[in-house]
Amino acid sequence: MSAAFDSPPHAAPMLRVILRVVGWCGLGLIAGAVALSDFLAHAPAGAANAGSILDAPSPAHPFGTDLLGRDLLSETLHGLSVTVGHALLGTIVAIVLGGLFGAVAARLPRPVGLALRGVMDVFAAIPALLLGILVIGLTARLYAPLAAGLAAAPLAFVRAFDRVDTKSTHAEYARATGISAATLLRRDLTYEFRDTLATVTARALAAVTIILSTVSFLGFGATPPARDLGLMIAAAKTSYLHAWWTAAAPAFALLILILCARLAAGLDESERP
Amino acid sequence: MLNYAARQTGRLALGLLGAVVVAAVISAIAVPRAPGLAPFLAAVGTRLVDFARLDFGTSAISGLSAMDELGRRIPATLALVLTGTGVALIVGAPLGLVFGAGPLRRSAAPLMQIVAAAPVFCAGLALAYGAVHLLHWPVSINAPVRSAAPIFSSNARDLQLAALPMLMVGLAGAAAVQLALRRAAADSARGSYRAGLRRMGLSVIEIEWVYAAPLVIAGLLASAGEITLALLSAAVVAEWVFHRPGAADLFVKSVALQDWNMAALILFVFAALTFVVDFLGRLGAHALANEGKPS
Repeated sequence: MSAAFDSPPHAAPMLRVILRVVGWCGLGLIAGAVALSDFLAHAPAGAANAGSILDAPSPAHPFGTDLLGRDLLSETLHGLSVTVGHALLGTIVAIVLGGLFGAVAARLPRPVGLALRGVMDVFAAIPALLLGILVIGLTARLYAPLAAGLAAAPLAFVRAFDRVDTKSTHAEYARATGISAATLLRRDLTYEFRDTLATVTARALAAVTIILSTVSFLGFGATPPARDLGLMIAAAKTSYLHAWWTAAAPAFALLILILCARLAAGLDESERP
Repeated sequence: MLNYAARQTGRLALGLLGAVVVAAVISAIAVPRAPGLAPFLAAVGTRLVDFARLDFGTSAISGLSAMDELGRRIPATLALVLTGTGVALIVGAPLGLVFGAGPLRRSAAPLMQIVAAAPVFCAGLALAYGAVHLLHWPVSINAPVRSAAPIFSSNARDLQLAALPMLMVGLAGAAAVQLALRRAAADSARGSYRAGLRRMGLSVIEIEWVYAAPLVIAGLLASAGEITLALLSAAVVAEWVFHRPGAADLFVKSVALQDWNMAALILFVFAALTFVVDFLGRLGAHALANEGKPS
């Protein structure tokens, strides 16, 4: 499904570097907030009646309170923690079954590699969101992080497969001199995959977070009392039209997480929407 | 061109075949059988034979034939996707062309990242909030307030109810359209043929119009499959958020209630739609790119 025009329009190199640094710093701050969420939060997760119902943002409750009087700053921190934890799990699945498997498949004997590519093409033609929902439906909501990783994997596979240049100079040289495909693969994994791992991880994190939060929003993800940001926004649907802050805080946290991951990936706009 | 078309046709056929097998595997879950792999594979085989006879089973929710149920629901989704495509082209094409080349491209890149970072459901809720508080429109996010209102209606209230999901799908598509156009425009701007054509005495406008424009449009067409995926994903969320009873919404409910026949059929239709649009887009892109390519 790769486009005929594969070269993405990159931002100026200096700007790209700055934005990448901003993205990684942002992810670092988010990791810090997640690690310290129990200390930073005013109340434990799900603690009702921390304030009165639907209190607007105030010094006591900077993000306001929700329908059950829960402090939204605390809830957002706990939700962010759940989202990040689940997204990291899904990211590992997407990288291993997508990026890594794609790179390996490209070095397998051509017919085998192309057959695998064909299978993944079929899954890549299904919207990742539907694939994620289907996997959760076939298993359980408990496995939502794995499902999100699996849903993102076909695209990561196709991209990794296509990135491996089987006609590169070193591949031609290896074939001509009888160097085995396994050695060539080891070389690819040691140098090329390792070099792009940070970018691939950040991109997969953004994609998995979007899938995960959307399936949670649709009711297929996190199960209460462990609420993630998607589920928090879904719960705010009934109140946010007259109490905007109930959805604003989790939505803003989600947006920042995805934005930082995308910036850390280096503004690679060849990513499929 | 013929070789390319034959290759793409083969790719389409294989893709559709793969989608049928995936649908049969999902549908086989609904078939009562003994435990074990062999009975499951036999059930998959049975479902494949049924599919060949255009028998897609019965919906466990409604009791209707899955085909009939899909026939009732798919027009709403297709209407949403089609109108969303229109919005996507109207909004996305100018954005892609304006920000596709020159210094604007560089400055727009971070801005586009910020806009693209918003998940579709957040954008939908924000649109609903704006519609209620700024335009005083009715919205159907918390209760199905005449949510089945058709998209093509002469009633102003129906149109207002239909506008938000349409806009939501359209904006998701616009992000994909502008991305495809920006990619193609940037690629075209780097084309080495430009200098040669200038030396031959062609003006910039001539080069853009005769050579670059077909390549940029070809880039958009080549991304038709990706744009379709974005539109379908957005349709799932839009139908759920705005309580519109379409096929995408039915898929979510089918999976939740384990109606596998229905889920399999909808998944197959969506995958087939993506494959067909991708196929047509690739053929169009190939034809245009060859036409625009300077000899």
